[in-house]
Amino acid sequence: MTSNETNPLDPVTFEVLKNSFITAVDQMAEQMLRTCYSFVIYNRDFSNGLHDAEGNSVAQGNQDIAVHVGTLHFTCKDVIRTFEGEMKPGDVYAINDPYAGGTHFSDVRLIRPIFDDDTLIAFSQSNGHWSDLGGSVPGSFDVSARDMFREAVRITPVRLFRAGEFCHDVAGMIAANTRDPASIIGDIHSQAQATQVAEREVLRLVKKYGRGQVLQGMNEVQDYVERAARQRIAALPDGTWETVDYIDRDPGSGEGMIPIRVKMTIKGDRIHYDFTGSHPTISSIYNSAPGATFSAVVAGMKTFFPDLPLNSGFYRMISITAPENSVVSAEWPVAVTGFLMPFEKIMNAIFEMWSKIMPERAIACAFNLEYLLAGGRDLRSPEKPIFMFYEWLPGGWGGRNGKDGSDVTTACFGTGLMSQPNEGNERVNPTRTTEFQILRDSAGPGKWRGGTGVQKTSVLLDSENAVMSYICDRERAVVWGVEGGLPSMPHGLSIRRNGEDASKWLGSVFSDYPVYTGDEFARPTAGGGGFGDPLERDPEAVREDVIDDYVSIERAARDYGVVIREVDADLCEYEIDLPATETLRADLRSKRVGWARMAPEEVSDLYKKGEIDVLDVVRRHAVILDWETGDVLPKTTEQFRDSFEKRTVAHWT
Amino acid sequence: MANTRVAVDVGGTFTDICIMDETTGAIRIEKTSSTPDDPMRAVMNGVGQANIDLTDVSMFSHGTTVATNALITRNLPRTAMVCTEGFRDVVEIRRANKEDLWDTYKDVAKPYIRRRDRLTVRERVDAEGRVLTPLNEDDARRVANVLKKRGVRSIAVCFMNSYVNPENEKRMRDILKEVLPDIPVSISAEIMPEIFEHERFSTTMANAVVSPVVVDYVARLSDRLAEGGYARELLLLHTGGGVMTPNAVRHYAARLAGSGIAAGAIASRFIGNLCGFPNTIGFDMGGTSTDVSLTYQGEPRITKDWYIEYGYPIRFPSIEVLTIGAGGGSLAWQDEGGSLRNGPQSAGAYPGPACYKNGNRTATNTDANVVLGRLGTSLAGGKITLDPALATEAVRSTVAEPFGMELHEAAEAIVRVANANMANAVRLLSISRGYDPRDFALCAFGGAGALHGAAVARELSIPTVIVPPNPGVTSALGCLLVDIQHDFSDSFMKRADQTDPAELEAAYRKIEAEARAQLEREGVGEKDMVITRSAEMMYHGQWRSLEVPVPAEITDVQDLVDAFHAEHEREYNYARKEAAVSIFRVAVKAIGLVPKAELQKHDVSPYTPDPVTRRPVWFDGTEYQADIYEREALTAGAKITGPAIIEQFDSTTVIPPAMSTEVDAYMNILIDTKG
Repeated sequence: MTSNETNPLDPVTFEVLKNSFITAVDQMAEQMLRTCYSFVIYNRDFSNGLHDAEGNSVAQGNQDIAVHVGTLHFTCKDVIRTFEGEMKPGDVYAINDPYAGGTHFSDVRLIRPIFDDDTLIAFSQSNGHWSDLGGSVPGSFDVSARDMFREAVRITPVRLFRAGEFCHDVAGMIAANTRDPASIIGDIHSQAQATQVAEREVLRLVKKYGRGQVLQGMNEVQDYVERAARQRIAALPDGTWETVDYIDRDPGSGEGMIPIRVKMTIKGDRIHYDFTGSHPTISSIYNSAPGATFSAVVAGMKTFFPDLPLNSGFYRMISITAPENSVVSAEWPVAVTGFLMPFEKIMNAIFEMWSKIMPERAIACAFNLEYLLAGGRDLRSPEKPIFMFYEWLPGGWGGRNGKDGSDVTTACFGTGLMSQPNEGNERVNPTRTTEFQILRDSAGPGKWRGGTGVQKTSVLLDSENAVMSYICDRERAVVWGVEGGLPSMPHGLSIRRNGEDASKWLGSVFSDYPVYTGDEFARPTAGGGGFGDPLERDPEAVREDVIDDYVSIERAARDYGVVIREVDADLCEYEIDLPATETLRADLRSKRVGWARMAPEEVSDLYKKGEIDVLDVVRRHAVILDWETGDVLPKTTEQFRDSFEKRTVAHWT
Repeated sequence: MANTRVAVDVGGTFTDICIMDETTGAIRIEKTSSTPDDPMRAVMNGVGQANIDLTDVSMFSHGTTVATNALITRNLPRTAMVCTEGFRDVVEIRRANKEDLWDTYKDVAKPYIRRRDRLTVRERVDAEGRVLTPLNEDDARRVANVLKKRGVRSIAVCFMNSYVNPENEKRMRDILKEVLPDIPVSISAEIMPEIFEHERFSTTMANAVVSPVVVDYVARLSDRLAEGGYARELLLLHTGGGVMTPNAVRHYAARLAGSGIAAGAIASRFIGNLCGFPNTIGFDMGGTSTDVSLTYQGEPRITKDWYIEYGYPIRFPSIEVLTIGAGGGSLAWQDEGGSLRNGPQSAGAYPGPACYKNGNRTATNTDANVVLGRLGTSLAGGKITLDPALATEAVRSTVAEPFGMELHEAAEAIVRVANANMANAVRLLSISRGYDPRDFALCAFGGAGALHGAAVARELSIPTVIVPPNPGVTSALGCLLVDIQHDFSDSFMKRADQTDPAELEAAYRKIEAEARAQLEREGVGEKDMVITRSAEMMYHGQWRSLEVPVPAEITDVQDLVDAFHAEHEREYNYARKEAAVSIFRVAVKAIGLVPKAELQKHDVSPYTPDPVTRRPVWFDGTEYQADIYEREALTAGAKITGPAIIEQFDSTTVIPPAMSTEVDAYMNILIDTKG
């Protein structure tokens, strides 16, 4: 509580200023969306902030992507550190440094100091995911990078406009280090103009209410959010909750999942997150620097306080400790471009812990974000232009308390992110989509099932020198259920070479994989984890799912113990055999604990013989195999089963 | 000789009828209760109540909420979609994003057509329009027969890349028509021929699901009007700002979605033009919400980014209307952070504000206005009486006590927060689109518009407020004086510097021919057709386009490029003259002129009217003895200086201290907010 407490603003002026700050950042967003060049920004991977003169967040946009929440004040403060005393009206600075509190190199922030006469009173910040920032692969996601030097251009604070004059030399140098220089220059202008929108609004407010009141308003809105958040935390019982989630592997060492441990303590009106026991940094890009980890904590928590505005006031009652240079606290120059993998694990861990505290908002695990990057030469036109195919898919979110999970929804790190139209893909890249539809049986079974995932299958058309990278996770740390609910399915991409019948499993993480004209690649996304015991699901709900083909008749029996017969598919008529359902459910109940503890080798044998499929392996037996060979991954299975016992078996009656 | 025009606007509570005598320009108003189960009853009741002889009617236009309500309530006939194999879920996957980013318990609604009713056939067209797989006719017949068995009432056909080549979709329609001759079929290549499958399919889906509902309604109403002796075509107001005939409704039913909201914006434009203000901001404040629209240089601002339900865009060009949850019934409250809030929760029509005596005890804007003396205690000619004691108690307990304020200070605080929220909404539509509010007049209407209009205008430095003669039924006026209008467009997708003017000209000629054919079908003569061209353009590499006017004969593509730079500069405050420009779409607006009639004009003789009475009214912490006038008694030329209140049957106009006011020749109240 830093503001002048003896003379607070009158309530009307306060409310007007609070809403005007938010309107200012929403206006920035509107302008950015309408003038951007990066298709990633266009699909809503961006955020905007208004900051006080110390760099604290005063307001962030209502529709901003979750993953930038809680990071904008860090980059603003780094700019202040660099340019303190030499800032001029009309200046604009750029920064993308994850080691200074940014997220990853692709998120480039443009920051404008706002002056009233000669006095610095505020900053506006526009942060957007650029289409490319150089490095060894198109789109700047090289999963095999060990350090930042092959990832992308690191932009420590630089000046892009000096007193209104465009610094074309610096901008040109940044653009020249990317694969898409024209777009980069376009986005610099787009974002710089967006920051000017906020400047105009802030100066309008100063003119109307006076500098003193506006500055006081910037402090008071932070105090206001802090007060509201603290009140809610204080109303909760004190206590400690803990959980562990995993990244699939460290490519530099043997089999075994990488733990992220979180212990949360609520005491009075404060909340502490302790990451002690989390794994040291790993030899891939799946590491998170402290700024991004803070963001994951804030984003996860914000899900349970959806109505609170976002600013630095929200951050004040949160503290974090983490081991040095761990997978959640990586330091320069560890590669961190894949920070979203630990980010989503932290978010889901927070979902799980908060679900215990607020059961009315409980939710099981969401699918893992995935993205595909392919690049090469497009032979469809004679100039053979470079193409960059960069795409992410939606999937299912976890089942909820009293409600199925949200079907085909964008990943939890950024619910505003839009999926891309296939017709756009096909026009711009030498690819053709052969299927993009909901994936049957992808949802984790539960009394309230997870949301459904999708499958997208594409064929590579006339191209040369094409390579593909895939960035995903939860091929092994499979999307989990809670309260007795079941996991959904492993993530992973398969490829069928041109002219071949069988496809090959490539898994959830690889890079620079050569692909050729006519190759077909299939990407399923997982559904959400189930919530509650699937044997308690209303058979009528299962029948509706069968009619809509979200669930097959076969899995209705295997996962839910509901026996359904087709009467007339043309008329959508299916009937439930209730007596058979009761018998089957009783049978499953008597066997399922044994199945969940069956020797992993035995499960592997059944799988290799084709007697059970991958869904049985994961959902019934809680075993994780090498999905290409069918061999058991012993340590991974042990870790997975440990969690399965706690989240699922312990809740079966 | 038929010389009466009738416009009917159906709202949630009332159906308003506006009747104009074409020879004198005189207008009269009738109001009747809406009949949501069958809106036609209210329309015919109103016609009867107003003693309209339908044989005298030269034009009957109608703003209807039938399509909007069907979509909102999902009271929709079973509709199917036929899709390319592998793409049955385009409308369910959408763009996968959520409206509420943070609330994990709030989902986007499921599509209007259920998954079980989305069937697929083998067919495929590529991005260049080549047919890779012709429509598999066995699949097509199988699907048609299944749909027949299911008894679906409407069908959407949505194939990949059909916007470049509609051949397969058209063949699919033919086969459906063979099997199901009476079922309407909407094909995406005709409904919205533009790239990006979800937006195209979603528009087509909306069109298909409302088609049976709307076509049936329009046919029944047309028949009833014809029985009564109306000899012309029924005209229906669509969201693009014009009217269409039943013939066009059969093809583009979803253009009627949002029709009611558009009417207010059109009225605002019309009134602004009448008073000599080509730039107006429409400010339509009702009981629970406020609709804001913008007209610039006589043209309403159009958007293609809108929807009735989040996630399901309807890409027909539509008047841009921003709706916020601020109305007379909006509730004041203190949140847990200790901040004074206003709305979006509303006391609604029932129980309504505290002073309505129906049990609500929380202060609303209406209660605050009663406490401040701005609103009298007798409304609607005495039909509604308000209880000032209840208003006082509500303001006291909701705001004055928690915040430690005096009663009038608290009431003023409530109103100021509401006004500031509405001013922010106006800013989003004006300043953030590059329009300066100081260049506009605020047209204030709806039940509460005139109560708050002057204060909102002052907040935004808008110099003039226009309060039309019947603020409560202004939307009906919006339906009265419009032309037939259609929008046609086609993808173009080429860099301007690689575009041959002849090729561009040909693209326009093609859609202009379609436009003329449509107008001809509606009985519009060649001399009454006005066709204007526009193009959607962007800097090469950008993702959003801007609409730019295009000359009737293209000789040099550079003209379009120059116009684009200028528009980008106006809207976004910068242009990149060094950068390449792309043309994304070509579009035409086809207008069929409806013979003009003029509103009655009165002689203006300036005078200072005598107030009917005076009462205490509070402004900025000061109590004034304000003059109270009855609007019916004011004639053209009346000059009034604030503080004053002008009361009428359906509205109350507040004139704050030092503002001056004049009644113009069309009986509008013009408030000069500068004094």
